[in-house]
Amino acid sequence: MKRQLARLAITLGISLQMACALADAAAAQAKIQIGCTATSDCASAMVAVDEGIFRKHGLDVEMTPIAINSNIPAAIMSNSIQIGGPTSTVFLQAVDGGLDLVGIAGASVMNPTSNNAITAFVRNGITINEPKDFVGKKVGAPGLNAFLHVLFVKWLVEKGVDPKSVKFVEVTFPTMADIIKSGGVDAVLTAEPFVTRMTNAGLGSVGARYAVELARTDPIIFYAASREWAEKNAAIVTKFRDAIAEAAVIVNSDREKASASIAKFTKQPLDLVKATPPNQSEPRLKPENLAWWIEVMSSQKMLQSKLDTSKLVLN
Amino acid sequence: MSLERTKPLLLPLAALLVFELWIRLAHLQSDSLAPPSAVLAALVAALADLSIPIATRDTLLAAFAGLAIGSVIGLALGIAFGISRVLDRLMEVTIEAIRPIPSIALLPIALIALGFGYRMEIVIVAFACVWPMLILSRTAVRGIEPRLMEVSRALRLTPVQRIIKIIIPAALPRIFVAFRLSAGIALIVAVTVEIAINPLGLGAGIMLAQQALRPDLMLAYLVWIGAIGYGLNLVLIVVQHRLFGRAATAGAGS
Repeated sequence: MKRQLARLAITLGISLQMACALADAAAAQAKIQIGCTATSDCASAMVAVDEGIFRKHGLDVEMTPIAINSNIPAAIMSNSIQIGGPTSTVFLQAVDGGLDLVGIAGASVMNPTSNNAITAFVRNGITINEPKDFVGKKVGAPGLNAFLHVLFVKWLVEKGVDPKSVKFVEVTFPTMADIIKSGGVDAVLTAEPFVTRMTNAGLGSVGARYAVELARTDPIIFYAASREWAEKNAAIVTKFRDAIAEAAVIVNSDREKASASIAKFTKQPLDLVKATPPNQSEPRLKPENLAWWIEVMSSQKMLQSKLDTSKLVLN
Repeated sequence: MSLERTKPLLLPLAALLVFELWIRLAHLQSDSLAPPSAVLAALVAALADLSIPIATRDTLLAAFAGLAIGSVIGLALGIAFGISRVLDRLMEVTIEAIRPIPSIALLPIALIALGFGYRMEIVIVAFACVWPMLILSRTAVRGIEPRLMEVSRALRLTPVQRIIKIIIPAALPRIFVAFRLSAGIALIVAVTVEIAINPLGLGAGIMLAQQALRPDLMLAYLVWIGAIGYGLNLVLIVVQHRLFGRAATAGAGS
């Protein structure tokens, strides 16, 4: 029995030591970690990694895939990632909640192409002729109070429909086709490539292209960091901006290279990535770019405080 | 004998075959389901390109480290509470207030405090593993034959000697049952943490495969996690029988 006890103690001891060693390894961080969700929005960073643009500017960068966009602010604050790609809505809510984050460079912006890719896709058996047809319908959004949901609510308000008359539920992108097919929701707020896939599968039709009607050019996702890190590493931020500006040109002009990098990071099949144009890359981020979002989110009562745009973006 | 052995496999295999045929005949286009043959192909490919082996290493490292830390803490507290009724009563409210907190509910705080990586996952797994160990080892210590304790008193053993020579050996079979229970919990919690937040290991692999619209790969990860859980339990049962022989079944039965 003694030997068994000794064995057990040794096993536990080894495990503990391994745990401590791992914790130390995690603490010693030299690379800049950029955290993004598996979408094409951070394509400029993906291309900058793949094409060696970061390296050319003297930056050692690694990209971390993050499952849920709203986790990005917490990941930045814990220094797990130094730069993240939150959506405008996630960023503004985090800052409104008291996290000291700053935008340091632009990633993706809405433009006619990307706006055209955003739709409310309606299942078979439901007809939407005008905005008020959404009244009483169950609509699936990939995230409540997230990008597409906020845009759709803004569109409803502009069209004179009370958003409270629409029932919103959360439906993630990969499950949309199955839930639309089963009739679990009447419509989903979605984007390409899901629209084409669901249309081709005969699951329903496009009910509204609300982003086209809103016709905005504001940022979708931009690169953000903690103010403390960004101010301490001003030289790195400058290099990062230069590299992103260089990579953005490739994203907007060379679909082949952009698609290859996106497919590599998101692990999506290359054919699927190539079928959808990546969102427009816009490396510059100005404080006034966030004004529209603040106005929309305030009107939807998503922000408690009055945010000062000049403090939201690092000079 | 061979027929007897294969019999239990017939039903699942038939179900898989029917599922495969149904998907192929119905031309099912889904982002969350895939035919078993595609899942198998994805599993083989992910094993070959080392993505599954690396993810398995990450998940098991975090799960085992958390299990070890949680078990040691749970065992120490369990023995202390088992020996001392006073201490048990004093700590009862505190323990019962903390114990019901689902370990996953600690994720937002853990992310801000510890960041991504092994550390956060280990802490959450350890938190989840403390409780079954604490409660079962406390009960095990209380259930020790009173005459053994009398012997220890007659031998004038010091408290430390009493714990090492009498209490732990007598309670060990039941403590190992608690350890087995915790091991299952550790794996579940580790994978859940990865699915929810942590970008490493098998759970993150599932999420990434789902977001990459690769249901075959996603289900391959799922099958693999099932196999690991099964294998882990099997290993622990074998270890239990090797270590404790008939006492193991006595411990497991009670």
